[in-house]
Amino acid sequence: MCAVHAARPASTDFGGAAIDGNGGERTEKANGNRGRGGRVIERERNIWLRLIHSARRSTLDWHSPSDRCDVRTSATGTRGNDLPALRTKPRPAPPSGLARFMHCIRVHQSASSTEEPAGGSHKKDHDRYPVFSVEFARVETPFIIGLWIFCASLAKIGFHMTPKLSKMFPESCLLIVVGVVIGVLLFHTSSGVQVSPLTPDTFFLYLLPPIILDAGYFMPNRLFFDHLGTILLFAVVGTIFNAIAIGTSLWAVGQSGLFEFDTPILDMMLFGSLVSAVDPVAVLAVFEEIHVNEILYIVVFGESLLNDAVTVVLYHMFEAYSEMGPANILPVDVASGIASFFVVALGGTVIGVIWGFLTGFVTRFTHQVRVIEPIFIFVMAYLAYLNAEIFHMSGILAITFCGITMKNYVEANISHKSHTTVKYAMKMLSSSCETVIFMFLGVATVNNAHSWNTWFVLLTVLFCTVYRFIGVMILASLANKFRLHQLNGVEKFVMSYGGLRGAVAFALVLLIDKNIVNLQPHFVTTTIAVIYFTVFFQGITIKPLVRILNVKRAEKRKPTMNERIHEKLMDHIMAGLEDVLGRHGNYHVRDRFKRFDTKYIRPWLIRDNKGAEPKILETYSKLTMKEAMEYMRRNASTIAAFPGTESMSTLFRNCTQTNMDASFSFTQLDSSVQNLDMQELEYNPSKKDLTDAKIHHLLSEELCKPRRHRRLSYSRHAVNDRDLSTQEVNYKMHMNMRHIISGKHHHKRSKKLNKEGKPHVSFPGITQNGSVKQFTHDYINEMLEESDSNDVDEARPSTSGLNDGPEGGIVFTAKSTPTNTDEAVVHTEDPHPKDPGKRSSRADSEEEAVHVTPTATETVLPWKRDDEAEQCTFPLKQQEFPGWCSNKEYLAYNSPSSTFLGGLDQPKVASVIGLFRRESTVDQEMARADAAILVIEECPASPVPSAVVCGTPPAPPKRPSSARRGSLLELGASVDPIPEEEAGTPESSANKSPPWAQRRRRKQGACSSSYEDFRSNEVGLLVTCGGPVGRVGGCVVGRGGAALSARAASSESELARDRVSRSVSASAATGNKKRRCRSSSSDAAAAASDRDKETQIGEEQDAGGQRGCHASAQWGSS
Amino acid sequence: MGNTSSLLLREDEIAQIQEKTGFTPNQIERLYSRFTSLDRGNCGTLSREDLLRIPELAINPLGDRIVHAFFQEGTGDSINFLQFMQVLAHFRPIKKNKDLKLNSREQKLKFAFKMYDLDSDGKISRDELLAILQMMVGSNISEEQLTSIAERTIFEADQDGDQMISFAEFCNALERTDVEQKMSIRFLN
Repeated sequence: MCAVHAARPASTDFGGAAIDGNGGERTEKANGNRGRGGRVIERERNIWLRLIHSARRSTLDWHSPSDRCDVRTSATGTRGNDLPALRTKPRPAPPSGLARFMHCIRVHQSASSTEEPAGGSHKKDHDRYPVFSVEFARVETPFIIGLWIFCASLAKIGFHMTPKLSKMFPESCLLIVVGVVIGVLLFHTSSGVQVSPLTPDTFFLYLLPPIILDAGYFMPNRLFFDHLGTILLFAVVGTIFNAIAIGTSLWAVGQSGLFEFDTPILDMMLFGSLVSAVDPVAVLAVFEEIHVNEILYIVVFGESLLNDAVTVVLYHMFEAYSEMGPANILPVDVASGIASFFVVALGGTVIGVIWGFLTGFVTRFTHQVRVIEPIFIFVMAYLAYLNAEIFHMSGILAITFCGITMKNYVEANISHKSHTTVKYAMKMLSSSCETVIFMFLGVATVNNAHSWNTWFVLLTVLFCTVYRFIGVMILASLANKFRLHQLNGVEKFVMSYGGLRGAVAFALVLLIDKNIVNLQPHFVTTTIAVIYFTVFFQGITIKPLVRILNVKRAEKRKPTMNERIHEKLMDHIMAGLEDVLGRHGNYHVRDRFKRFDTKYIRPWLIRDNKGAEPKILETYSKLTMKEAMEYMRRNASTIAAFPGTESMSTLFRNCTQTNMDASFSFTQLDSSVQNLDMQELEYNPSKKDLTDAKIHHLLSEELCKPRRHRRLSYSRHAVNDRDLSTQEVNYKMHMNMRHIISGKHHHKRSKKLNKEGKPHVSFPGITQNGSVKQFTHDYINEMLEESDSNDVDEARPSTSGLNDGPEGGIVFTAKSTPTNTDEAVVHTEDPHPKDPGKRSSRADSEEEAVHVTPTATETVLPWKRDDEAEQCTFPLKQQEFPGWCSNKEYLAYNSPSSTFLGGLDQPKVASVIGLFRRESTVDQEMARADAAILVIEECPASPVPSAVVCGTPPAPPKRPSSARRGSLLELGASVDPIPEEEAGTPESSANKSPPWAQRRRRKQGACSSSYEDFRSNEVGLLVTCGGPVGRVGGCVVGRGGAALSARAASSESELARDRVSRSVSASAATGNKKRRCRSSSSDAAAAASDRDKETQIGEEQDAGGQRGCHASAQWGSS
Repeated sequence: MGNTSSLLLREDEIAQIQEKTGFTPNQIERLYSRFTSLDRGNCGTLSREDLLRIPELAINPLGDRIVHAFFQEGTGDSINFLQFMQVLAHFRPIKKNKDLKLNSREQKLKFAFKMYDLDSDGKISRDELLAILQMMVGSNISEEQLTSIAERTIFEADQDGDQMISFAEFCNALERTDVEQKMSIRFLN
């Protein structure tokens, strides 16, 4: 049907085509309608336009579309101005229309230059500049369009403000009523002919595509293709059956002379074909409100979409036949009609699919220009529609399949924000188009061109309903033979009842040429009647009926992780079973396609291909996101339950601000900065859990407020900031800071290297504070001594020449694997555990000190560790790192100040690059910075982070971490196996490998915790640097908080693990505790990742999303 | 019964299978022809190799597991036709009136559950889940991610806090899923 208009040049006028192919009469009517905004000039304009028309009819030499377009613009643009000119200077008709047209333009120009606007009633001198002037004509068309949309949307708001009304009636009904009211008003206020603004071109070219695109793009693919067979059966066979049955029945009744006019069979068939098609717009409007179960929905809705091809073909066929006349139809015409069905349907589908793939391909490259991402989706889908119309294919099929095809690929490519934009823009467009369509439908009803024939109308309505029911019943029982899910009686009923007719039929009936089909006015009236009957009667009653019949309702929900995974598993099982049975059913086909898709299509169309089953990942990240949100909300509300939180938070913020200043200057070293550790204020080992909980909740609360603040202050530029420029700016800022800081560290580092062995190496003091505090604490000392004696003795026997004994602090050497060119030896001496400020690290290397530097990223990030670590897939006990290490670490990280500043320090860490791009090799500078932070500063007195200082493979191989798994296993498994494993593994590994290697491995096991800390630090600092430096003080606390809490939780679980390793007897209790830690840590991690995502949304978006959840998984798992 | 190596099933065998599995004689005949076509050795039984020789099954990520599922109930390395049918009977669509035990919702779920539960301890451990995930998802996703997904999944379903998914928990997690539909095959009639 749509193809009809494509044949004609588009007359793009909303308020009615100025010059339409249909001939003068209708066009003039349309123009009459247009002037409702400026009624003053309406009649004048009509006169003027008639002049134009007469000119056009006289000569048709400027009949090309572009010329028409020009004429139209002149019609809209000049009508106000040059009307006086035309009136005052009546001329004989120019020899040709074109010349006359040129003349009009000239007149217009002269008029506009010399005369004041005609719309104004006031007169001024020619040479005076007007202070105020009115020119409605120039903006008339867009203004009226805007006005229509505005009114329609306003009406929509109105319905939703009257809940009773919108509960009883579907929106479509109410909109039609409003349209009728407006139509009546217009009809009575305006003189002359009144024609609806709903021209077929307007409908098919502008109003319909957004709705269909929305339907296709958000089509549940799986469901659609599962039921494709049934849908096609209904769409093709059902529609043909309906068309022919209605047509012949009307013809048969017409033979009896009941209608009092001639009913040629072909005209009746034409009418039957256009009135039989179920309308997607009407179906959508009603079915979205009644929420029937998804199978029912997809069958009815899918039918309404796919029957477009049938309708197009039938309509064209019968139109052509009636033009030819029954006598001239040859069998070959019928055959070509049938063939054209396949061409139209398959052609439209193919065009749509091709454009869909193209869209996916284009969005693959849009990551630099995120803002224009959504436009590709809209424009290319629209192009697909128009492209199909060019070739007289089914545009609806094209745009539907374009949406279906592009969705999966586009969603993987575009950023999260673009996704939101697309979603909302699409919904908005389709919803307003739908509104406008129904409203126009109402307006179109009111005209004086109706020719009512009661019998004809009644019988048409009756036949439509009856044949719909008959068709559905027959076809449904036919389909049931091939369906797993049987359509029961109630469903059949709803399917037949849901066969609503709508604007498509109306637009089609308007297209019928009155000169060929004499009954066109009757058809128009009857079509309107049928539409009203279905939309009003069926639309209103379907809701209660669905309730009475107890139709299974749809439940809107997101799949849980379990459902997603298990359902995928079931798919595979079923595909496998179909193979066993040798039956190639749905599952088999889908399996095939998926394999093909994963292997060949996705790599081409998706930038960051994630391999098979992207849905699992998607679900995971969505759930994580959601949980984080909920977590935040929950904690924001429970904050009142914690007494003293306010003071804590105030204190916290103040402290952090102070620290910020100090840390920014970087001239201050450890001595000058006061100890701002929060733990110091409140720390009580016996009440550890309580404190943890408090801080944890406090931090999560803190996460909210500064953020809100930031939103407000940046709301205006939010989009630009994130999508375009700020990321770069931030990145530059990162780089700057990194340069500053890494320069600093480099300096320090060399100093340290020079004074090898000297215990006092100064670092920015803030990070120290936590450890200072911790070490002065008796509890820790106790722990330290205890674990020293326990663990070190046990661990050391084979490591020769490296230890100075437990009392002399821990000295250890980390060597790289033999394959490494670099060899790093780091001594960390802690002669007096009570003096944590004293430490030294020495790095020996064959090359310069720079290379010794651990490149912590590489050693810490699990996938960057070298091959050696692969051997230890089992849990490792951290023997050389006594229990207090993690304990201390925990305290250090739990201390907001130190963490925060650690975070602050870390802009130089490869926050943007390193975290999310694991493939990228980390350059030495970053590595240096990392090392400085992680190893030396953050846990000065603790060997644990020093473990990070391992050999640096110049180009670390990329592979998953197995050591990490080991530690995870240890954490994740139930309590009992742990001690055994821990007891067992070191010995066995000791037998196999040299001591240093063994140690190294253990370190790597231990690294996992540091790794997490590292990660959380990064997040913290990423967030930190998201805002301008000036705000950092205020905002960072909150935003870094997630990282903090995640870290706190993770180190807590670390602590728990160490406890387990020390005392088997306490295993049960600790196990419980671990579990608790775990859950809280995963919560926090989720929060952190959310934060992470939010801040990164710009250029790092995709990577950020993925890796973000990856990172959160890291935290969560421990 | 299963030792038939003849091409045709005897009436009493058909009746027996029908009684045990609920398939109609027509379906049994069809499936038997499939069975014999799979049975390369013509020995009346199917081995794992016989099943894995099906090309599509060989590239199914879970192909091994699916084949394995056929051999869980029977003993040894081969299954006869009755055992074959008994496994397939799990996937018969549920009909209201004549409901047999084998194709109940619970049995269907049990079948899926066994896909995970390699060590048959009645629980899905993290590693078992991870193994399945790795098969399905492939190698493009890092192990950390998969691990966290697995843990998240277990955490979600785990009700008694043992870090495993028991069968009851499994059923609970899939409460809203239309297992009857998803795990049914419309057998040829």
